[in-house]
Amino acid sequence: MVEPLYEVLARSAFVSLSATLVASVIGIGLGTTLALARVPGRRLLTAVVNTGMAVPTVVVGLGVALLLWRSGPLGDLGLIYTVRGMIIAQVLIATPLITGITMAALGMLPQELPDQLRALGANRAQLVFRMWVEARLPLLAAAMAGFGHAISEVGSATIVGGNIHGHTQVMTTAIVESVGRGEFGVAIFYGAVLLGLAFLINALLVSVQHRGASWARS
Amino acid sequence: MGAQLSLTGVRQIRGGREALRVDSLDVGPGEHLSVLGPNGAGKTTLLRLLSGVDSPHSGNVTVDGISTARGGVELRRRVAYATQHPGLLSTSVRRNVELPLRWRKVPRKLRGELALAALERLHVAHLADRPARALSGGEQQRVSLARALAIDPAVLLLDEPAAGLDAQSRSAFFADLDQALADRATTVVQVSHRAEEALRLADRVVVLVGGRVHQVGSPEFLNRRPADASVAALVGYDNLVDAFVEPDGTVLVARAPTGLTCSGPAGPATVAVFANGVRLVGDGEPGLSVRVTRVTPGPGHQAVALVGAVSLLTQVPIDAPATVAGDAVRVVFDPALSAVLPRAGAGTPVLRLPGDVSVTRG
Repeated sequence: MVEPLYEVLARSAFVSLSATLVASVIGIGLGTTLALARVPGRRLLTAVVNTGMAVPTVVVGLGVALLLWRSGPLGDLGLIYTVRGMIIAQVLIATPLITGITMAALGMLPQELPDQLRALGANRAQLVFRMWVEARLPLLAAAMAGFGHAISEVGSATIVGGNIHGHTQVMTTAIVESVGRGEFGVAIFYGAVLLGLAFLINALLVSVQHRGASWARS
Repeated sequence: MGAQLSLTGVRQIRGGREALRVDSLDVGPGEHLSVLGPNGAGKTTLLRLLSGVDSPHSGNVTVDGISTARGGVELRRRVAYATQHPGLLSTSVRRNVELPLRWRKVPRKLRGELALAALERLHVAHLADRPARALSGGEQQRVSLARALAIDPAVLLLDEPAAGLDAQSRSAFFADLDQALADRATTVVQVSHRAEEALRLADRVVVLVGGRVHQVGSPEFLNRRPADASVAALVGYDNLVDAFVEPDGTVLVARAPTGLTCSGPAGPATVAVFANGVRLVGDGEPGLSVRVTRVTPGPGHQAVALVGAVSLLTQVPIDAPATVAGDAVRVVFDPALSAVLPRAGAGTPVLRLPGDVSVTRG
């Protein structure tokens, strides 16, 4: 049975947006900690994050698949070849990118800003929140980069999701499958639709970003 | 009500070196203390300790007897610290001023009123809805100060509050600052490397050099009796020259009489003289022989550079007899505008003022 295109599209959007959301929470939190706090092993963690930004998605997919495989350490969770498993893999793909950009974004704020906020009477939570507000545009860019990374990747989606029709097939794996069958017209059409989806979501985020920028000016 | 500040046995290390060492310093409630020192003297380090942003490496800093290291955010909220850079946030002027009030849980309506009142006091209320970072440097300084004053702090710490402003803007800024503080009992600690800013309206001045307190006193006291050459230079003495105190108290420069006498021990000394304290005298009168090297017109006077055994700078009125480069002249120093200071390692001389009234240097 051929699954309607909109369902594949919706699944792609769901997987990538969910992964971006989770990765943003983890990445912004971790990036903030590494940028602002004096944690032991900060340099090592930064190096790990930077390496994570360059790890091929297929390698991440392989690692996640080995963990989630039925005979693997997390096999009992039954997440291999599931949408949730795909989300986990995409979280691992997007998190280093969002963490790295968060660190850079907070690092670009004036060096004296944290002390100034403390001097104004901010407690720790108020300080961190205000730093995020000051860096809101690059932080949104971090989330957008994470989403772009997640929705465009095919390696982990194939390995962890298995490209099961009606279950775990997403746009990128559907394109690969179409090319494999020699259906280039279908692949190009899917590619155009995927591009349209990515454009739509990014346009939405850009409009939020512009509103943020005009709020900053007001 | 202003708070009592106290530093006891404080040492602060920054970048691996001792940035500040203060054995004991108290600032009374409502007192205006100025800290004068060159760049790198430890002025900002001192303010950071008083604000509670930093804790001392050793020693104790207290606000009303409560250690800043243990007082936490509640103690910090009694202190307003306007840093050297205005540090305005990327939002409107109004929100910038309201934010510290919001953090102190001031109700929305009241914080709007307090913010506007503070902006009005600094004459920037008309900018309330403008983006803060689009303002000029002077406007940002005023907004930064309004933000600090809006919370009605017990302690106000000002780090070079007029840095980056031109002379005219600085003057207007300080006039507004004085007015804003006039009806308050706030304890104020202001640091500056400019004598004219540090000495104005301060009850006491602390001179910091190389992280150490060199002198504490009233602005008048510092002006008249700087403790050493570094303090004299900071206070604004234009001329610092090596001198020698004869056993009879006569102060000589390059073996020439200077018009000064000193009741301190004989030996090497340093004479500090304001430019307007270097007086040109007639050919036949005793004085130091020098030659005019440059005459530069200034506001209301001419600045005259002199070179002989020592280099000096003096001022003469615009309508004074013409002086041109190359003229040989004699000069003496006006005792009222001079100070005889110890040379490094020498004893502390005592300046003998006109009329043989001796005052021991503090």
